[in-house]
Amino acid sequence: MTEKEPGAQVAFQVQSRSRLGSRAVLLAGFGALLILMAIICIDSLHTLGEFQTANTQIRQDFLYREHTLEQVRTGLYESGNIVRDYILIESDPDAQMILRTEFQTIHNETTATLNACIQSLPTSKREPFQHLAVELENYWSTIGPIFALGAKEKKELGNSVLRGDVLSQHAKILKITKEVRAVNNDELNEAERKTSEVFAQFRRRLLMVATIAFSSGLILAASTIMYVGRLENSLEKKYEESLQAQRELKELSKRLVDAEERERRAISRELHDEVGQSLSALLLEVENLTEMSTEDSVFRQGLQKIKTLAENCVNEVRNMALLLRPSMLDDLGLVPALEWQAREVSKRTGMLVDTVEENVSDNLPEEHKTCVYRIVQEALNNCSKHAYAKNVRVTVRQEPNHLCVSIEDDGKGFDPSRVRGLGLVGMNERVSQLGGVLKVDSDPTRGTRLRVDLPLRSASIDSGELSA
Amino acid sequence: MKRLRILLADDHIVVRTGLRALLERQANLEVVGESENGRQTVELAASLGPDVVVMDVAMPVLNGIEATKTIVTQRPATAVVILSMHADESYVMRALKAGARGYLLKDSAAADLISAIQAVSQNKSFFSPKVSRILAEDYVRVLKQKGAVDSYDLLTSREREILQLLAEGKANKEVATALNISPYTVETHRRHILEKLNLHNPAELTLYAVRKGIIS
Repeated sequence: MTEKEPGAQVAFQVQSRSRLGSRAVLLAGFGALLILMAIICIDSLHTLGEFQTANTQIRQDFLYREHTLEQVRTGLYESGNIVRDYILIESDPDAQMILRTEFQTIHNETTATLNACIQSLPTSKREPFQHLAVELENYWSTIGPIFALGAKEKKELGNSVLRGDVLSQHAKILKITKEVRAVNNDELNEAERKTSEVFAQFRRRLLMVATIAFSSGLILAASTIMYVGRLENSLEKKYEESLQAQRELKELSKRLVDAEERERRAISRELHDEVGQSLSALLLEVENLTEMSTEDSVFRQGLQKIKTLAENCVNEVRNMALLLRPSMLDDLGLVPALEWQAREVSKRTGMLVDTVEENVSDNLPEEHKTCVYRIVQEALNNCSKHAYAKNVRVTVRQEPNHLCVSIEDDGKGFDPSRVRGLGLVGMNERVSQLGGVLKVDSDPTRGTRLRVDLPLRSASIDSGELSA
Repeated sequence: MKRLRILLADDHIVVRTGLRALLERQANLEVVGESENGRQTVELAASLGPDVVVMDVAMPVLNGIEATKTIVTQRPATAVVILSMHADESYVMRALKAGARGYLLKDSAAADLISAIQAVSQNKSFFSPKVSRILAEDYVRVLKQKGAVDSYDLLTSREREILQLLAEGKANKEVATALNISPYTVETHRRHILEKLNLHNPAELTLYAVRKGIIS
């Protein structure tokens, strides 16, 4: 046994190490999966945020440029109107003054807006707008001199200027604005196309990562289930083994108890029947000799000595036999045996033992008789040895399907949850072998009460009669 | 004087031989048969009709106490003396309940057997002095331990008189004749005695008398 132990220990260590290893692998797997999922989440959120920002920016830029073009066009129309009004008005210096100022304001604002727009654009995209600016500048420089003309010149020139230069300039700029607008639209479309491309890319990436995460999760789950299954299997096997061992141990202890009891009974019977009876016969013979003998006092004295010795011997043998197993148990039944025991204990210890029986049959199964007798014996022993009880009451009651035994004392009880021993383990073993229940109810303030409930099956009665 | 016819029942031949040698030296006793188990004893008792059966307790097939029960029921005229290794109350009580009239210990059989046979043949009870002593001692000890009053003190002197006669094995009628009263009065007294002493049957009454030393 001791030689085997180191080997078993090593095996256990190896096993525990491998268990530790697979546990670490599982832990790492689940950790990685969780981290992967967290990364997917963060990445998606971040990308979506970027999309939103980029989209807004594109739309804002587009609208800004559109707005600028709109302003250029408006400026163009308004300035045309102002020039026409200026030419048509004959001689009202105030009105002329107002128109001139208005024209100047429109000129400045339009130029400023366009320039600001150009400034906001990246260099690569400035070209159409710069073209527009140059044309616009030409326009301003064509129209500007009209306001410097006198009334006469104005009249002569006015219509031709209006019809010629201004209109052609006008048309040209409008054409450019249209072109620029087309460019702007293209740009918007381009940006949107790019955005959706990036979005598609993101979707592909998400799909891939999700697939990886899902499949690795699947593998992990499968291996976990397998691992747990294996653990469960081995656990079940261990449990089975321990149950088996327990059963074997129980069987063994039952056989041990049975063997002891059988042996005791055999020796007790042998002592009682063979040795005891032979001594009785011896005594009778001695008596016969004594009666037949003459008045030889030496001879008579010798016979008397033999008689005394034989009598002592008979007593000795009887007591030994009774200690091993009381013949009452077999000759008279359980109750007389218990009563005898009660009297013997009373005599020996001074403790008053009261026996109460309620319709206990004379032919109980052998095993039951022995079990109850031995339990009462052990309990009475405890009462006098440990509890220092003054009074004990032993009650045996037979009911249709079971046998109830209780042993109550008025000694100094104990705490059953803490104190083991006192032969309780042995008692419990005997009781559970017959499928019964043993209850210990004890309290340091009010003594101990031991209760045994043994089932009485017809099968056990049969087997009892067979073995008896 | 008529010789008493005796049946010996013991499963040990050495014991039977010893007993036979002992009894055959008495002129007024005659051993008419021997048996080695309970059933055989019952059969021989029926066929031989002995006056007294000397019966061992521990016998195969049917034990002595069961055999006694049957014999006493079948042939009330036959008296049974039990021979036992045990002086304990359990055995004495069982033997008395079964209907035995005498109870002897094997180690004192040689000394007491003749007197026992003579006593039971006259319808009296007989116990080995050692048995009486042990029963009495137990009784006194239990009384002391319980601190109880001796219930014997509760009996009137007439009841004590009747108790002794009954314990000796006399029937109500015999007691009535002896005391010159009616058998019904005896029965009433008997009931009172059993009640006062908390006894339930004739066997317990006899056992009580032995313990108290009223009879031996």
